[in-house]
Amino acid sequence: MWKLLIFFMMLAAAAPLNGQGAVPPDAQQRRILALENAWNQAQQTKDAAALDMLLAPELSYIEYDGTLMNKAEFLASVRSPTLQPLRIVNESIAVRVYGAVAVANGVVREDGVKNGKPFTIRERYTDTWVRRGDDWVCVASQSTQVPR
Amino acid sequence: MRFAILVGLLLGSAHPFAPPQEGLDPGALTKVLALEHAWNEAEQNKDTKSMSALFDDAVVYVDYDGTLRTKAEFLSRVKAEASQPEQEITESMTGRAFGAAVVVTGVYVAKGVENGKPYVRRGRFVDTWAFKDGRWLCVASQATPILH
Repeated sequence: MWKLLIFFMMLAAAAPLNGQGAVPPDAQQRRILALENAWNQAQQTKDAAALDMLLAPELSYIEYDGTLMNKAEFLASVRSPTLQPLRIVNESIAVRVYGAVAVANGVVREDGVKNGKPFTIRERYTDTWVRRGDDWVCVASQSTQVPR
Repeated sequence: MRFAILVGLLLGSAHPFAPPQEGLDPGALTKVLALEHAWNEAEQNKDTKSMSALFDDAVVYVDYDGTLRTKAEFLSRVKAEASQPEQEITESMTGRAFGAAVVVTGVYVAKGVENGKPYVRRGRFVDTWAFKDGRWLCVASQATPILH
């Protein structure tokens, strides 16, 4: 329950400041940063329902091994019992906003257990977000493995 | 990165897969796919001046090995004598428009010689384009090796 509470607090931090969409660019950057953190938290806790809110129905998700997934496939991979993430942390992140488009670039480190074996992976990623009304949704996410 | 032999064919095949989007400039997708074509030709000819006009100054390029490059670094790499691409084929390419953004995804195969060593690479790419100052500019590009 507390995980859900934390998630909604993160979403609240990402909410528009005045409800009218007139949010200055640096505030939009902060919203995207909050959404990125909410994503990590939701993925770490395998909260596919929370992730569902962050992702556009048209999502293109490219895994570090080149696998292309749509939204349903990605959420199924998050739910998979063979994957147990222990920690997902952004080592770095930068956000650029182009009006109703935002691009987040960063490096994320993930520790966990997959098929019974522990793993650690570092990935450089690009996430593309678009604004729909007062909300931002991720339309594309791609990761490329980088050395540990 | 990708100069295609079959781009004309691929451009034609990309259109039917992109459903209409809300608030979309009806010509956006066609324009951006044409810009992808121009990018391929310019890169094949090491025409960094033409390439420069396609990229936002703040573009972030993530190479197949996870290397992060700025616009200047990417253009410098294209120009470098150590890199001698022989053939690069876009196996598939499709675009999706989201109002002020167009996301292009695809698969490429690159063959060439780098630092005296031959290479063959197959990867998946995502290019994000944003409408800025009255034109479409690439604001992010990433490649991921296909490992399976």
